[in-house]
Amino acid sequence: MNPRKILRIARWEVTKGAGGIDRKTLVAGVVAIALLGVVSAAAVGHGVALDRGIYRVSVDESSPYYGPVAADPTFDIREPGSTEVEITIEDGGFRVSPTPKGRAAFAELRRAVERYNDRVMAAEQNQSAAFPVAVSITYANRGGGEVVVPGDAGQSQPTTADQPAGGESPAQGTEAGDGTGGAGGATTPIPQNDQSVSDALFGGGTGDTPSDIAPPFPFESLALAFLFVLPMNFVIQAYGGSILKERINRRGVLLLVTPVSRYDIVAGKTLPYFAAALTITTVIALAIGGGLVSITAVIPLALVFLAATFLAGMFARSFKELTFVTVAISVFLTTYAFVPAIFTDLNAIALISPLTLVVRDLQSEAITAGEYAFATLPLYLTAGVLFTLGVGVYREEDMFTQRAVHLKALDAISSRIRGRRSIAFLSILFIPFVFVAELMAIATLFALPMTFSIPVLLVLIALVEELAKSIHIYAGFETAKFDRRFSLALVLGALSGLGFFLAEKLTLISQIVGLPELQLGSVAFTGVEMSGLALLGLLLAPLALHVVTATISAIGAARGARSYAVALGVAIFVHTMYNLTVVTQFG
Amino acid sequence: MGDPRLAITRRELGAITSEKTIVLALLIQLFIAAFSSFLVVGLVSLYDPGSVSDGQIVTVGVAGDASESVEDAVRSVRGSRARFFESRDQAERAFENGGVDALLLANQRDDDRIGVETVVPKGSLRTTLIVTQVREVLEALEREERVARQNELSATPVNLPPEVSASPYFGFTYTILLPLLCLLPVFISGSLVVDSITEERERGTFELLRVAPITLVDIVDGKLFAAVVLAPAQVALWLVLLTVNGISISDVGLLLVFVTALTLVVVSGGAGIALFFGDRQRSQLAYSTGLLLFFASLVFLPEHPSSTIARLAIDSAAPISFISVAGALVVGALCLGFLREFARRTGKDQL
Repeated sequence: MNPRKILRIARWEVTKGAGGIDRKTLVAGVVAIALLGVVSAAAVGHGVALDRGIYRVSVDESSPYYGPVAADPTFDIREPGSTEVEITIEDGGFRVSPTPKGRAAFAELRRAVERYNDRVMAAEQNQSAAFPVAVSITYANRGGGEVVVPGDAGQSQPTTADQPAGGESPAQGTEAGDGTGGAGGATTPIPQNDQSVSDALFGGGTGDTPSDIAPPFPFESLALAFLFVLPMNFVIQAYGGSILKERINRRGVLLLVTPVSRYDIVAGKTLPYFAAALTITTVIALAIGGGLVSITAVIPLALVFLAATFLAGMFARSFKELTFVTVAISVFLTTYAFVPAIFTDLNAIALISPLTLVVRDLQSEAITAGEYAFATLPLYLTAGVLFTLGVGVYREEDMFTQRAVHLKALDAISSRIRGRRSIAFLSILFIPFVFVAELMAIATLFALPMTFSIPVLLVLIALVEELAKSIHIYAGFETAKFDRRFSLALVLGALSGLGFFLAEKLTLISQIVGLPELQLGSVAFTGVEMSGLALLGLLLAPLALHVVTATISAIGAARGARSYAVALGVAIFVHTMYNLTVVTQFG
Repeated sequence: MGDPRLAITRRELGAITSEKTIVLALLIQLFIAAFSSFLVVGLVSLYDPGSVSDGQIVTVGVAGDASESVEDAVRSVRGSRARFFESRDQAERAFENGGVDALLLANQRDDDRIGVETVVPKGSLRTTLIVTQVREVLEALEREERVARQNELSATPVNLPPEVSASPYFGFTYTILLPLLCLLPVFISGSLVVDSITEERERGTFELLRVAPITLVDIVDGKLFAAVVLAPAQVALWLVLLTVNGISISDVGLLLVFVTALTLVVVSGGAGIALFFGDRQRSQLAYSTGLLLFFASLVFLPEHPSSTIARLAIDSAAPISFISVAGALVVGALCLGFLREFARRTGKDQL
């Protein structure tokens, strides 16, 4: 890697791109983006009620319920006497159609009346009679806590907020240690601005009334965190296009014949897009009040976006195909970033996503180094592996041939095989993927009932791990790097299992955050306390398992595609059975 | 070989199916759908006490001089139980050792209010559930207290309709999930047309079309037709899948017409952009920003397309929804007309 050469290629990438983008386009682009900002702001001000008019209500203007119904855009008021309605209100009685829709409409009506009452009461002279209950909430670890008065959105330090409705006194009772050491202070986010979105979610309140209580779900911070992910889609679109352009009409040959290494070429071509992502992230962070933590949390996500797109650009046969693959990447990574962040109540789950770091940063909460590592390290490693695989096929014989995506992928893996030892090495290399996939599985499954989620998770884990242990062996056989010999399959299987076993010990990082404390987490990352012989057995059992199952797949892989599929199925079954035994015996 | 435009359409669809990308697109959508419903079920079990199947009861510890009113309120709310404590200390001890899920310490204040200090556990899976339950209890308390202070109020609060057990994600399915699933194929179709036109130029295959006995208008027509067929087909598949999942969809025919009209608008725009800019990078960027701009600005219509989709599917269509569909058809036809005129003026030889 030579910095000067990288910078030169980066400059070409920018100037060539800018050469394509003349001044006129640039101006048009800036105008379009400015317009977009204006329109979005106006649209938000205008109020977006996605559920406008989905329930039909027949109510007379003289009815006391006319006000609440008219004030809620969800309802579509129909003339009294209409038959095609979900709810008919007459003489104070309700007729509700006996359908799921009718019931949903009626539940919405109840919420609408509650909101309406609060609004009517807010206009009362006598506020103490209108809001006769004043609430303060303390989120306490059983043994300590902090006070948060509903209404002071997003401040985590204990407050004695001076509400217009009268002073609050923080709870005196639970006085103990400082609980968590600063991480995860409780907040009760109640938006102060009357936007329709937040109104719909929380009901705009006046401060310390019961309606102001919102579950600790930092909706606003999460929405802001989404701002970081959105521009990535545009950056990767341009980046993927640029990579694929090199491969069309043999354009990339020009760079390949110059005396620079392919690492320099790829680094140089990637640098401007990474810089763009970094700049956008920084600007957004400054705009919404995030700090250095927000920026450093988004960087690994940006890197994975770029790395996956680079690989897509290397595999795709046409721009159309690239578009599809890019959409797939966006969907998957956005999901990965968002789902865990939704479960803010649960430290271990939420920290799977780097966006949780952003959310915490926006709420000015402290983050420990261990938490940062847990949220970002898998992504850094994944980005590294993806780039490694992509650079492996950045060479003439691969770049300018048209092959199906999955064959290209096998080529990319196979390009990293240099003899038997590579098999163990690749098994280690795939660990980040395994980690990311298992975390994703945990994040999505843990909200479901245990009886269902544990078996599903066990099968998924077995599937991911067996694939990671055998796909490169299969690639080696398919691309004729290895002779299809039974004895060789045994050796490769054993090597792969050994490499995977060693690398799996790295997942001990999950202990830092306490994922194993979660029942599901302990299924994926078991760490059982035992002694002597049992401990040795427990240590060797996974090694034996990984070697055996990898060998089963390897034997299948040596015989061709169909046998590989069958053997993989057998290996997954064995692995699942083993996991099931471990969970039921020691879990 | 019939109409040359159909030959172009066949060529487009052939290219897509041979690359298996369409399968991938469907898989992506399936993933989103499966995922959303999954997520919704998970979230609902966290947030909605009524939807938790194993009948979790939240036990509330009550203490303080106004605890009687609080106990009444707790009794009136489903899924919660009250435990009375003589003193604050006792209540706190019970909270510490997990005997109660939450504490409500209620005292009469000088300003004629009841001050309630609430303590809930932090960072447990049930926190959200407990907070939601506590809020319901306190809202019930507030209603009772308002009735007691009736004489001091000028307006009477409207009586609350009784509670019913409703699926809390019924609305979500129709207002967010369904519009997303219907609009995604539309957006992807537009992107495909941009790709298809710019790629012909970048690979130099327009040269071949140039010597073929067809006009640029024919080429554009053919490409557009492929995209306009594709999006509604995907959406139709969706609606079938959703119906199988027990989500009833009304007005399917109108929905598909609406999606087709929207596709026509978006695809014509994409093709125009691609013809204007010529290279893929600029075209795709212009297309993405243009699309965002377009759909954001539609907020100012009396009914946003996503609302129209929701109302048609949920069987609450109003006259405005039908006007939306008709309007989309008119705009789609206009866009197509403009595009063809633009293509005619551009001509093959310019590309």
